[in-house]
Amino acid sequence: MRLKIILTLTVLSGAILAWNLHRIFTQVPDEANQGAIFRIIYFHVPAAITSFTGFYLGMFSGVGYLIRKDLRLDSIAASINEVSLAFATITICTGSIWGRIIWGIWWTWDARLTSYFVCLLIYFGYFMLRRAIDDPTTRARLSAVLSIFACVDIVLVWKSIEWFRTQHPGPVLEIRGGGGMAPGMEAPLWWNFLALLMLSAALILIRTRQEAMKLEIDALRRHAHAF
Amino acid sequence: MNPENYTFMFLGFTVAWLIVMVFVISIALREKKLRQELDRVKRMIEEGESTRR
Amino acid sequence: MKFLRQTLAIAAKDLRSEIRGKEAVNASVSFALVILLLFSFAFDLEPEQVRDISGGLLWLIFAFAGTLILNRSFARELVNDCLDALLASPVSGAQLFFGKCLANYLLIMVVECISLPVFAIFYNVRLPQRLALLFLVMLLGTWGITVIGTMFSAMTVNLRLRELMLPTLIYPMLIPALVGAIELSRVLITGGPLAENLIWFRVLVAFNVIFTILSLALVEIVLVG
Repeated sequence: MRLKIILTLTVLSGAILAWNLHRIFTQVPDEANQGAIFRIIYFHVPAAITSFTGFYLGMFSGVGYLIRKDLRLDSIAASINEVSLAFATITICTGSIWGRIIWGIWWTWDARLTSYFVCLLIYFGYFMLRRAIDDPTTRARLSAVLSIFACVDIVLVWKSIEWFRTQHPGPVLEIRGGGGMAPGMEAPLWWNFLALLMLSAALILIRTRQEAMKLEIDALRRHAHAF
Repeated sequence: MNPENYTFMFLGFTVAWLIVMVFVISIALREKKLRQELDRVKRMIEEGESTRR
Repeated sequence: MKFLRQTLAIAAKDLRSEIRGKEAVNASVSFALVILLLFSFAFDLEPEQVRDISGGLLWLIFAFAGTLILNRSFARELVNDCLDALLASPVSGAQLFFGKCLANYLLIMVVECISLPVFAIFYNVRLPQRLALLFLVMLLGTWGITVIGTMFSAMTVNLRLRELMLPTLIYPMLIPALVGAIELSRVLITGGPLAENLIWFRVLVAFNVIFTILSLALVEIVLVG
């Protein structure tokens, strides 16, 4: 049953991505100021939104663990955060490449890129913490608390870096070069977002099952050593 | 249109897909490792129980 | 009232222990001086330029040196199972945490008060007329560092790579507080317009309030379960 869900999600997301890719390359015109590179936004923005949503869902799952003490919720939280981390990496890499064309440099401390980088660092720390703890309940507890801190902090980081950048202006990654996107151009963005959500759901389901397997192995090992 | 523009656009898409692929492969490898470990531990328990009998 | 009394008892215990040993403060001050020295090699600047980056330099020094004190905070209780004894005592997790926060806060403020004049002398930075405001910024910024640092010190106390993990975890978290403190310090030292930068005061206060409440709420879960 679970396998069927995973397969369906993967196939559907693949189909949407492929169809969208075709649409992006053939139907969407080049953006006036930025040219062809503009199309990268069709990956950059959906990946960004997916990862952000994921981090917050991961936090809620962690809170769920703290309330119900069910280790499955911790497995779900870790899986969601890991997949979100992968998408955050995609966001930063595509943002950097976008910047390379727009400004001619690979990196700049643009508010969004910087905030994302901080997000990345915080969640690297999250996984470092998880690896450093052997006991599953302690690991679940501390990861949940860390993810609460992380999600509250991310908002503050975002706003403060934005305000910093208004006082010390630098290059900015602009989606809507003054105005808003033409209606035909915005639709593929949301389709890609849906596709990435489905893909991440499939990956999260797989990872959650792996986490459950890990717990099962731990339990069996303890059983084996007890005799 | 600036040809470099297209190159970087393809680079961008490639990088995005590459990261997804690397992630999926790492998940697949972890799956294999976990299954092997699970089988090993299950065998260990069965051997332990058979020797005790 | 009882909350405060027990909190102050914990704070007094930590401070007394530190005053007698003086290990953490000495290490922290030495580290601050070393960083000041290294920065002098890293940046060879005109006095004008130094004042522009003075906010950043100062708060990097405070943050790095402060981590040495924060690391010791819960780690010192591991010896002889003192942490278990404290958790088993009638003192609640929140009181233990807050007491340690107060002690760490005072210790880090001491390190900062020593580092600031040394920095001013080494880099020929004339400290501003608005020294009181600069001191207020130090008070606010340091509380942010202390709260997050003490909380994460509690989280990482039983981990193998504690010394490695604490800086890695807290510095990204501290960015809002550090950016606010850096901006305000820079404005105060360069004599810029404070009115336009009041938002950073709000950022610092919001950061401190939010994370103090969050930490007090969650520390029991972290320490005990």
